Amino acid sequence: MVDELLFFMEVVVGGLLAGTMYSLVALGFVLIFKASATFNFSQGAMVFFSVLAFCGFMQDFNIPFVLAFILAALLMVVVGLCTERLVLRPLMNASEDTVLMATIGLGYVLEGLAQAAWGVEVRRLDLGIGDFPVPWIADNLKLFISALDIFAGLVAALMIIGLFLLFKYTKIGLGLRAVADDAGAASSIGIPLKHIMLLVWSAAGVVALVAGCMWGARAGVQFALVDLALKALPVLIIGGFSSIPGAIVGGLIIGATEKVLEVYIGPFFGGAIEGWAPYVLAIFFLLYRPEGLFGEKIIRRV
Amino acid sequence: MSNSSANILDIKNIEVRYDDVILALHDVSLKVPKGKVVALLGANGAGKSTTLKAVSTMLASERGKVTNGSIEYDGNSIDKQTPSQMVGLGMVQVLEGRRCFGHLTVEENIISGAYSRKLSKSDINQELEKIYTYFIRLKERRKSQAAFTSGGEQQMIAVARAMMAKPKMLLLDEPTMGLAPQLVAEIFNIVKELNTKEGVSILLAEQNTNVALKNSDYGYIIETGRVMLDGTAESLLNDDKVKELYLGISKKGRKNFRDVLKEESLTKRSN
Repeated sequence: MVDELLFFMEVVVGGLLAGTMYSLVALGFVLIFKASATFNFSQGAMVFFSVLAFCGFMQDFNIPFVLAFILAALLMVVVGLCTERLVLRPLMNASEDTVLMATIGLGYVLEGLAQAAWGVEVRRLDLGIGDFPVPWIADNLKLFISALDIFAGLVAALMIIGLFLLFKYTKIGLGLRAVADDAGAASSIGIPLKHIMLLVWSAAGVVALVAGCMWGARAGVQFALVDLALKALPVLIIGGFSSIPGAIVGGLIIGATEKVLEVYIGPFFGGAIEGWAPYVLAIFFLLYRPEGLFGEKIIRRV
Repeated sequence: MSNSSANILDIKNIEVRYDDVILALHDVSLKVPKGKVVALLGANGAGKSTTLKAVSTMLASERGKVTNGSIEYDGNSIDKQTPSQMVGLGMVQVLEGRRCFGHLTVEENIISGAYSRKLSKSDINQELEKIYTYFIRLKERRKSQAAFTSGGEQQMIAVARAMMAKPKMLLLDEPTMGLAPQLVAEIFNIVKELNTKEGVSILLAEQNTNVALKNSDYGYIIETGRVMLDGTAESLLNDDKVKELYLGISKKGRKNFRDVLKEESLTKRSN
């Protein structure tokens, strides 16, 4: 009995921590959705592109870890700059659907560029943190929890605190929230939309890099990261597209439920249900709470 | 209107098209003298908002373009300026429909108006206090979320936010739309105060002809993208045609200036 409870705990905690990795990916989506009201389909490609560049800097050019990370982050700022200049600005007056289609195209460009520059083979990324149970926790709490999961959880927490402070207390954060509410009004009082777009795409790029490091360390740096990032879609439907806390909680819910479902219900379906279970959950949310748990409700005064 | 240097805004014969096809303004010329309030009057769709957006250069974001004529602000052409550059030059538009940032607090809304200026925290607080002296009601509600304030308060937020940019000139697009008469008076009092105490020149688009003219120095009446009549506010208030068409003191079934002009030419011919 105790063993079973412990096993259940282990599944839940493992799921929650794995969920923070989804949260990290979802964060990038939220940033861009806030500023341009568009689901950025290229976010997955940005994850792949950034972490592959990071590996490339380290492994092909022998650049030390920290410097390579900084270079990769700068590269993502450049990607943000080019996106703003070459994709978003020409489409400034286009409909949101057009921008959405453009992000799909941007995704293909980034995937292609990444593979052209760094090759197609799967790379190993070693963060210096193993993907195996922490002995201390295993001994004392009898729970087998991966060190990488714990590390990802900590990193996610730090990023969220950082972004929260940025939005709440800085001038550019105020500008971003203003643009998110009403871009036209923001531009009428002199908030330059292009600066905000640049900031948001760069921030989303750096978040993609961090998420890519976590996923890359676990699953190898490979093309599959692009599709993995799409798991952020159910996360966002549950958490709410425009909410940073929503991305976090949505990630945790998806992480925990998919692991629990996989372990306890999966055998009845022949296993491997964690691939689609989150989407089923998302459909229920779409039916009963379309704005998500934390999505900004459309405020209507009566 | 005498020499051009006395005018902060000088619009000469502009023509505006949307999507390169739809002609929204045919021929609009108007002047705003420094430190004055000028009213731009007309019905829905007459071209008031389009004129204001042509001035603030916000037309571009709506696929509109000035295809003829010129606009000079403070002696310089506004060609090739962006909305944020215009704000930097001291020209701020308060858009139709208030357009507050609903999820931000009242105070955050107002502070966002200072985005284009490089101010320290203490400078911002100082400016904020000054602005609250005009908008006393907003100070009480500073911590509320803007979406939950009343229509009148939202209009005040929109004007206060624009004032944070330290404008030399304000473009107000229907500031009294949908407000109760008492609030209309309150808003106009504030606008007049900003004009006299802060020296802000104002171009005001309104449907509320009577109140607008009573609070302005000069007025223009536009219809289907053309200026039909202009004159001092007093002369317009006493003009028979304006009375009939815009102040609701109607004689016959005439609906707009075109009808009036048609009738006049007919009577001239028959004489």
